[in-house]
Amino acid sequence: MASSSEPLGPPPRPAATTNHVTSTNEPFPNPKELDAATKVHTQGAFQIEARKLPISKAGPIDELNEKLGIPVPEMIFGDNLIKITHKPSNWSISFDAFGALNRVDKEGKKLLKVSYAKDWERTREDTTTKIKNIVKPYDWSYTTDYSGTESEGSSGQRLAPGIGHYIPLALLQRRDPMLFFEEVILYESELDDNGISIYSCKVRVHERRMLLLCRLFMRLDGVVVRINDTRVYVDFDQNQVIREYTAKEELFQSLKRKLVMSGRLPDDVTIALRDPNILDPLLTVKKQMTDAVKFRE
Amino acid sequence: MSDLDRAIAQLRSCRPIPESQVREICHKARELLIEEGNVVTVAAPVTICGDIHGQFHDLMELFRVGGDVPDTNYLFMGDFVDRGFYSLETFLLLLCLKVRYPDRMTLIRGNHESRQITTVYGFYDECIRKYGSANVWRYCCDVFDYLALGAIVLGASNTLSTGTEPVDEDTEIEVCDQSGTVMSRFPRPMPRPNSAEGPARSPNGGGGSGDRTGPPGSGASGASGGSIGNPTGAVLCVHGGLSPLIDTVDKIRLIDRKQEVPHEGAMCDLLWSDPDEIDGWGLSPRGAGFLFGADIVKIFNHRNDLSLIARAHQLVMEGFKEMFDASIVTVWSAPNYCYRCGNVAAVLELSEDESGTGLFARSNGDVGRSDGGRGVMMEGETFVRNGPARRYRVFQAAPQDSRGMPAKKPVADYFL
Repeated sequence: MASSSEPLGPPPRPAATTNHVTSTNEPFPNPKELDAATKVHTQGAFQIEARKLPISKAGPIDELNEKLGIPVPEMIFGDNLIKITHKPSNWSISFDAFGALNRVDKEGKKLLKVSYAKDWERTREDTTTKIKNIVKPYDWSYTTDYSGTESEGSSGQRLAPGIGHYIPLALLQRRDPMLFFEEVILYESELDDNGISIYSCKVRVHERRMLLLCRLFMRLDGVVVRINDTRVYVDFDQNQVIREYTAKEELFQSLKRKLVMSGRLPDDVTIALRDPNILDPLLTVKKQMTDAVKFRE
Repeated sequence: MSDLDRAIAQLRSCRPIPESQVREICHKARELLIEEGNVVTVAAPVTICGDIHGQFHDLMELFRVGGDVPDTNYLFMGDFVDRGFYSLETFLLLLCLKVRYPDRMTLIRGNHESRQITTVYGFYDECIRKYGSANVWRYCCDVFDYLALGAIVLGASNTLSTGTEPVDEDTEIEVCDQSGTVMSRFPRPMPRPNSAEGPARSPNGGGGSGDRTGPPGSGASGASGGSIGNPTGAVLCVHGGLSPLIDTVDKIRLIDRKQEVPHEGAMCDLLWSDPDEIDGWGLSPRGAGFLFGADIVKIFNHRNDLSLIARAHQLVMEGFKEMFDASIVTVWSAPNYCYRCGNVAAVLELSEDESGTGLFARSNGDVGRSDGGRGVMMEGETFVRNGPARRYRVFQAAPQDSRGMPAKKPVADYFL
């Protein structure tokens, strides 16, 4: 039923005021703020960092556009970060918006079109048909196969493909106490109200193991749904890191059919289409890769 | 206290009103809106607001910062609904205020004021959740079809009214925070003879392309720039932007607007298009929709005797963003968008010209502005109107404890 919030009293003034429009090049956030926004947890030989800040300002966005060569999504959390460091060797794997967007197709080789593009094109009136210039073709759905930025430590060890590595789901299904949990978004686009593209990271740390899930969820309404997952599993006892990348995809109509066939009512289908957890098992796996590293100490 | 005032009071405390009352108010609103032209004429002073997106408590914050209705004359550029948790209360409150104070509240249509979009982005679900049926959603959608497509602000001054602090007449842009404290001020650049390069003007314009076209030759400056205190060119307010099918404001007036937002054509473009750093017109890589460059805006403004286009539609971290030598500005009024972006919001205040020449009777009809004695500029003239003085009030999201709901905290879950 309707919300039951109380009548509003005079709202207290927020203490903090911003002073951000004097220059687009003003250093923001400053290193102190970066530290303050970072949560750190140490477990065994590993350190887990999660940094959460507001979306980027005009200055940093312009810089990022320049550096990437494509326009960034409208919600760009340029300062957000998830990082796992093996402290003895200083090896690390991190996830940030620049890294993720740098793996987006910048030439628009397989350019997606919105569902009504054909109708739009057909009904364009004579006066506008001479407008032919597609502005900066690139994969505006921001689909990325990013699976983290790895930095080699002093031991020279790196993630390497290997047989027989797998993430032990049974152990992760146990309700072990959670010592650390964080969720960090790197970017999000509403695709001009044609769906959603969001890159988000979730991490949970237990006494003997941890799991990081970094997920690109892209739903282009009426066209296609994609989920690209990178899972990083750390076994603190074994000093081992396993990374698994899975790319899944399904045509929108086929996915909708599957949801209807599973007995959902129309309104329920709309809601399900917003939830990657419901959609995930219904998508077809396009690519899967596993690699691992076991640290010597 | 009338029923309408009671409804307003109830909505102000973020409680939905009964379905029968929604129907009545929507009906009244439609009768009012049907009389408005596609382009509503609004006299300054006016406070121009961008997207709200169902963030009810932030709308209350906006009213606190910008002044309450009817003390302040408001113009909302659409996207009242979707995304936020209180689209219903937000839209109904704005609508009730429109019915109660029709001359102090102007609402124009955004691309989210559409059946198709609201089914996907939350407003439809919210109505079902709060009323158990789609009736209220239907009443609201019927009102959407009657919302104006744009507004023309007349009589804006090129000097700022006194805010909390005295302001001199050279100030063109003032940015202040939610308590009215001035954060920054930017003086109006003086026309410099034989100088193509105007000083950098825009506080966050991101470097508009090209130089500011100053009046050619100092001789023209007296007539063109408008001396201090004169009214400036009109300001066009529209949700998205321009359309290649629309070269004059009068062409907007010819659209048959009383329909669902179409997927193509002039009406669609006005609600959907975006400015971009390009030359001329471009196609969006998405396969539908147009982008327009600085030259398009300048030619349009010149031809229609406009000094500025105010639009919304795109999220900007700073709450506002001036582009193309301040010929167009994006205003964004949903702070901490989607309860997670951490951005600030802004409203744009244009003050009233007090020289006596800036007084215009408000009319909701199709007033042919070109008959107003000013005439449409000849193509040959490279005359640029001085922009109106602009005060941006920047504000943050309403404090958590005013929301009656907990902050969106990450819920620790055993994800796999």
